[in-house]
Amino acid sequence: MKPANAAANLASVVFLKIQEFARRPAQEQARLRAQLEAVVAVVTSDLRHAGWIALDAADGIAIAVLDDPEGALRLAQRSITAAAAGLPLSVGVNHGAVQVTSGGRSADGLTGDGIAVAASVAEFAASTRVLISRSFRDALAEAAPALDAGLSPAGVFTDAGLRTHELFYPDKSAAARRQRRLIAAGVAAAVVIVGVGISARIAGGGHQKVFDATMGKVGMSAKQREAWLRGVREKAGFKP
Amino acid sequence: MTKKKPELTKLGRYKITGELGRGAMGVVYKGEDPSLDRTVALKTVILSDDAAGKDEYKKRFFLEAKAAGRLSHPQVITVYDFGQEGDVAYMAMEFLKGKELRTRMKEGSISVPEAVHIAEQVAEGLGYAHEHGVVHRDIKPSNIMLLPHDKVKIMDFGIARMRASDHKTSTGLVLGTPKYMSPEQVSGSPVDHRSDIFSLGVVLYEMLTHSKLFQGEDTPQIFHAVANFQPPVPSRLNPEVPPMLDFVVERALKKDPSVRYQDAFELAADLRSALSELVDREAAASGEKQRERDTTKTMKMDADALRSALPAPTAAAIGSDTRLPVSLKFDCSDAIERLTDPTGSDRKRLTRAPRPIGIGRRLLRHRVLLAAMLAAVLVGGAIAVV
Repeated sequence: MKPANAAANLASVVFLKIQEFARRPAQEQARLRAQLEAVVAVVTSDLRHAGWIALDAADGIAIAVLDDPEGALRLAQRSITAAAAGLPLSVGVNHGAVQVTSGGRSADGLTGDGIAVAASVAEFAASTRVLISRSFRDALAEAAPALDAGLSPAGVFTDAGLRTHELFYPDKSAAARRQRRLIAAGVAAAVVIVGVGISARIAGGGHQKVFDATMGKVGMSAKQREAWLRGVREKAGFKP
Repeated sequence: MTKKKPELTKLGRYKITGELGRGAMGVVYKGEDPSLDRTVALKTVILSDDAAGKDEYKKRFFLEAKAAGRLSHPQVITVYDFGQEGDVAYMAMEFLKGKELRTRMKEGSISVPEAVHIAEQVAEGLGYAHEHGVVHRDIKPSNIMLLPHDKVKIMDFGIARMRASDHKTSTGLVLGTPKYMSPEQVSGSPVDHRSDIFSLGVVLYEMLTHSKLFQGEDTPQIFHAVANFQPPVPSRLNPEVPPMLDFVVERALKKDPSVRYQDAFELAADLRSALSELVDREAAASGEKQRERDTTKTMKMDADALRSALPAPTAAAIGSDTRLPVSLKFDCSDAIERLTDPTGSDRKRLTRAPRPIGIGRRLLRHRVLLAAMLAAVLVGGAIAVV
């Protein structure tokens, strides 16, 4: 068994893990495995044909998605939905290095940190939950920033090898929250920009000049402006 | 079946009529019970010359013979009688007209349903024996007899314990049939009924894959393989094996007895389920099956292919250098080709690490927000200038 390609490729790895698999009777294991394979067949249907590789694990299936983090996230979420009927699935998603290994004449497997971390992440995920690593979030942010806004922090987890993972989970409300925050920031920025414009104008010509020019633009004569100003002062109780 | 004229002519009340075979412990004779006019198999054991050892050995032999004699099950050979004649202890057993599984395996490959049927019957017999406190300790193809009408019987009960306990090497390892021993047997740890389950798992694996599971040039190598080698699932070597059988074999072959099948009846039940599934499948596709049979090809795997068919680890056991095998259920050859032989654009795309995304690029993606900001700049600018 030797690496078939020296350069490590990067892929998004979706690890679909059947919970408590080893403890189940063989008949149930076979049923769950068949169900999982059916789920994989369904959820990979919208991925590019040459864009994914399914790998066997003893308690699940790992899918390495090439050059499509958006598709990988969609696959993870669809797997959970498709598996809702009786398949206790947890999903870990990571973006990292994968390398093809070959036994004999042909490529027969994949190895790499991308797979190992996805498996660790799936170990942390509860049943019917998707957990996502930081590196996958970064890859997703680059490919589709609107989607990475839909991820909320799930915490920092330490695996059996004492390696820490900052994890996220898909959160529908997170995207809406981010949208609201962006709109608020946008409105504030717009107000500031307009305010800066007004300040610049005042600084350039004095406030009486700006007032006269503005009032002139709304069509008030000098007499009308005096009367309007007097009325405003009286209402405000202001005595010059 | 008779090989040559026996040296002995009589053992107890039994008249020896022929020799059936020879083993490490003694000779198996064919005999006649004159009082019942019945043909029997007489298994003999040469007792030790050492007086103290002889008594102990004899005591154990008779104890085991008694235990085996209590067993009465369709899948277990019946022990009629036992006794001693000079330095020879003997056990009179049912004379079976059949074929040893070892011979059947040498003759040609066994079909998956046939293999499962054999293993299921052996598991039933073992379950019964274990229930009665008897552990076989030497389950292997030559101790499984195939009888007419697809019946199976386990032979050699009671002898195995003697072999195991009385034939220790200088390193403390017991003699037996290394290729079918359990990891606890090869390590010299205490052995219980779960050891028989492991051995049956090895036999089933070999029947399903038509290959030897634990191999080595010498006994230490085989022992090492038994203790450490994680075999590929049978379906990787024989695609006709259904997934359920993979799980059954995998569980029977667990190195740690505590996570193995705890009960041979449980194993038998799983094998029955697998068999009914196989029978259903076969019935549903009987027409197709007939056509397939005409074009069946002999599968021959080379050593490299066998090495590559390593088992898939669990999620918890996957490390950076752990290889996960490509699933045979899906066609991923094109994607693998993209990795092994990438085109120019793929080479760049697939190896490039994601870049951190800044506020500018983020804004560029939010077009509404970007438009609002531009409008604000225009309005602010207009107020300032106009």
